[in-house]
Amino acid sequence: MWLVIALALAFLYVPLVPSLVASLAGTRPGEWTLRWYADLWRTPLILTAFRSSALVAFLVGMLAPLLGLLAALAIRELGVPRLILLVMLLPLFIPGVSMGLASAFLFRLLGIAPSLTTIVIVQTLWALPFATLIILTAMTTFDPQYLEAAYMAGAGRWRAFRDIELPLIAPGITGAVSFSAILSINETIRTSAVQGPWNTVPTYIWSTYRQVGLSPVLYALMGLIIIATIVIVLVYLLLSREASRQ
Amino acid sequence: MNPWNVNRRDAMRLALSVSAAAGLGVVPRRAAAAGTINFADIGVGDPGGDWSKFKAASGYDVNLVSIGNAPSAVLNVLVASGGQGTYDVINIVGGMQKPLVDNDLVEKIDTARMPNWAKDTYVDEFLGKGKPGFQFIGYKDEIYGVPTVLQGDSFAYLPEKTGQLDSYAALFDPKWKGYVALEDNYTTAGQKTALYLKKAGLANIANPDDMTKEEFKAVTDFLIDQKKKGQFRVIWNSFEQAVNLITSKEVYVIDCWEPMVFVAKSKGMDVVYADPKEGYLLWAMAAYLVKNPNRTAEQTDAAYKLLDFMLGGWYGARITNLRGYMTNPQAATYAKDNPAEFPADEAKRVAEITANVRRKFEQGGTWQNRWPTEVEFYESEWSRFKAA
Amino acid sequence: MLALEHRQQIAEPPFSARGRGNWQAWGRRILLCLPLIFVGIFLVVPLGLTVMISFWERAGLKFRPAFSLASYVSLIGGARLDVLQRSLIVALEATALSLVLAYAIAYFLARKVEPATARIVLVLFTVPFLINYIVRNVSYTVLLGRTGVVNSALMAAGLTDAPLDWLLYSDFAVLLGLVSAYMPFMIFPLFLSIGAIDRQYVEASALLGASPFTTFRTITLPLSLPGVFAAALFGFVGCLGESAVPIILGGVGYELIGNTITSSMDVLNYPLAAALSSIVILLMLLLMLGWYLVFDMRSFLGRILEWRA
Repeated sequence: MWLVIALALAFLYVPLVPSLVASLAGTRPGEWTLRWYADLWRTPLILTAFRSSALVAFLVGMLAPLLGLLAALAIRELGVPRLILLVMLLPLFIPGVSMGLASAFLFRLLGIAPSLTTIVIVQTLWALPFATLIILTAMTTFDPQYLEAAYMAGAGRWRAFRDIELPLIAPGITGAVSFSAILSINETIRTSAVQGPWNTVPTYIWSTYRQVGLSPVLYALMGLIIIATIVIVLVYLLLSREASRQ
Repeated sequence: MNPWNVNRRDAMRLALSVSAAAGLGVVPRRAAAAGTINFADIGVGDPGGDWSKFKAASGYDVNLVSIGNAPSAVLNVLVASGGQGTYDVINIVGGMQKPLVDNDLVEKIDTARMPNWAKDTYVDEFLGKGKPGFQFIGYKDEIYGVPTVLQGDSFAYLPEKTGQLDSYAALFDPKWKGYVALEDNYTTAGQKTALYLKKAGLANIANPDDMTKEEFKAVTDFLIDQKKKGQFRVIWNSFEQAVNLITSKEVYVIDCWEPMVFVAKSKGMDVVYADPKEGYLLWAMAAYLVKNPNRTAEQTDAAYKLLDFMLGGWYGARITNLRGYMTNPQAATYAKDNPAEFPADEAKRVAEITANVRRKFEQGGTWQNRWPTEVEFYESEWSRFKAA
Repeated sequence: MLALEHRQQIAEPPFSARGRGNWQAWGRRILLCLPLIFVGIFLVVPLGLTVMISFWERAGLKFRPAFSLASYVSLIGGARLDVLQRSLIVALEATALSLVLAYAIAYFLARKVEPATARIVLVLFTVPFLINYIVRNVSYTVLLGRTGVVNSALMAAGLTDAPLDWLLYSDFAVLLGLVSAYMPFMIFPLFLSIGAIDRQYVEASALLGASPFTTFRTITLPLSLPGVFAAALFGFVGCLGESAVPIILGGVGYELIGNTITSSMDVLNYPLAAALSSIVILLMLLLMLGWYLVFDMRSFLGRILEWRA
């Protein structure tokens, strides 16, 4: 089984190698350079797109799980679980292109100018079913008798939720946060319909990929993301190992 | 109990590091501030992010928004979303006047407001009223687009594998079966195929640039037949993909754009952009002035200044050098006269590219038509080809 | 069934907590309705719009309100229905394949591995998704092409004489792209639901003499169905809506439904695009309905239904 996992992981990590190579390749064949990484700081178009993407991913990563949590609670408590589940899953059913176009129409009708807000809204809508389902999955295994016990002990709803249920479904919530953020930083098709004056990394990539080719500077950005992520993951793992040892 | 359980301290740590990362110099600068021109572009019109000369001359910043060139992308962004109320100038491959003007999305261009317009001899030579290229910038006798880039397309090949080639017949030659790629686009690949079929006497096509239903159906049938014989390796969709097809020698003959060949050559490849006896597929990019209801008179003034700037020598030389397309008649001279801005090798490159594209325009061929009379039929036939 | 024995009334919070006023209960209810309101405004309206426009008529480049079946009629016998059919088949295949793989990995991680190690592995599965999907898919073409690493290795090892053409620009490549794009997303919900199954059930089953396979079939699998449901939905929806994988990795003119919708928008045929979208939405609703009918609601909402059941 470890072999299967190793193979699956290898398969996912292999495509990162050509990007790293492309970020280091010079203008002449066989030449290696770090200049694209230096150029990155002088390329405002990519930097601004990256900042918008990071900000949007952060907001979507907060909003979607929060709404997802509320939705999961609503499914449990409002008495019409099937209906609510269906409504929450609806955003998954509409093909992305149509969804982008339709929400663009809606914003226009409502008089909302395209902005980072509209980008956050369409992406939250896209991430919400995923966040809801993950939190719901975590909740399906939570035994409501624990809450009963808490109520018996005199705890209010909020305290019972915070002290008993939340810690138990925390894995679902952290999962929902990372899923939402990942969906956000890869979303292109809905975003491009409501992007207005903003670029995000995927809309910039999609446009240049088709018309002029991906620039080495862009690969440098990808290279930085790879390196930064690996460092963050390593640090996080070290810290949690440290914490579990204490 | 649960292995994925994260304790509260962990969660706090994670939240803190995420917010720190996200907050890193964030809150992107406000893009739509007054004194900024919102310039939607497909990647070709980006002078490497350097708008300092325009800013010095006009006082305005340029906010470049990357958009797709597919008609759906362009129209969706303007028709549906508030793109019309956001963008000032939109720079795409021309010939889109019919959908843009009929939907009231762009304004007529007042050419007198751009001093560089009169200096652009390409307009008189190739694109002006009565010229075959007029369909790229004009509509119903009026000018709607400012020509920013001109080019003639054919196909590329690897001489080491194929020897010298001089006809689109190579794309359909059984010798290269399985080693040919076409572009996924009915107005380029479809039209080139029509040009070939017409010149080779294989189909009765009056105008490859505006075919009737029967004519385009004949083109599709021919392509489906070729596809079923296994002639094509792939139908490419993007610049990046086409370059990879050449540099990896995945295919030997490819219907593509010349800048892809420049990129492949810079990577040490021996690849030739063909000079076909049937002629070239000629086209131009156009910058349109978006009919933006929110724009003030000063802003419109600045938008005109930007259009004029794009017709100027510095911008033209810069784009030719970066992207490999011909831009405007002042470009080569400007690059030669300003060695401080354009070193000798770059000036030479600009002059070469310009001369080469000029040659193609003089040689002729067929003018790409992005919105032919039967465009819907083209599109549904192309779906039939792809699904076959 | 084992899980059923918990099915009893859950006590309400004590009076001291409720006594703070009825408005609190209402406030809570409104709070819980927020996601529904959000989806309602930003989704149901566009959804209605999509269905409505699919019946509109075209007039030149514009379209006008009407009740016309023209867009649907034009689909009959056309190439686009083939594309829809292919999309459904490919999405099903990729989902099934991914589900088997993801279930095996999730089961292993939840049952056979130290929690700390499992966590590391799960994190490792998400990291590649921080890299843009276009960049990742382009990399696969570099690896799988005729002169790519895989073919070069195969030929160097003497396993083949000529490069294998079906590795890239083929149905195989599309399947590979789809599995690599969505399988990792499916591991997580499966892991959550398998990991949370009370081990006592499994042990009890073993003590009663059930074989490991019987235990899996009668205990683990049914109890992990919420995760299977979530995972299958992630995979299926993702694959069905995918538009980058087919155009980057697919063969000559390979399209999935998203690509053909985009293409119809290229000629401003919004009613046709809307009609195609409406068919997809309808199909998805039918699939959901099928799921409701075939499977007991309990199987994927689990203990949530015990709440005042």
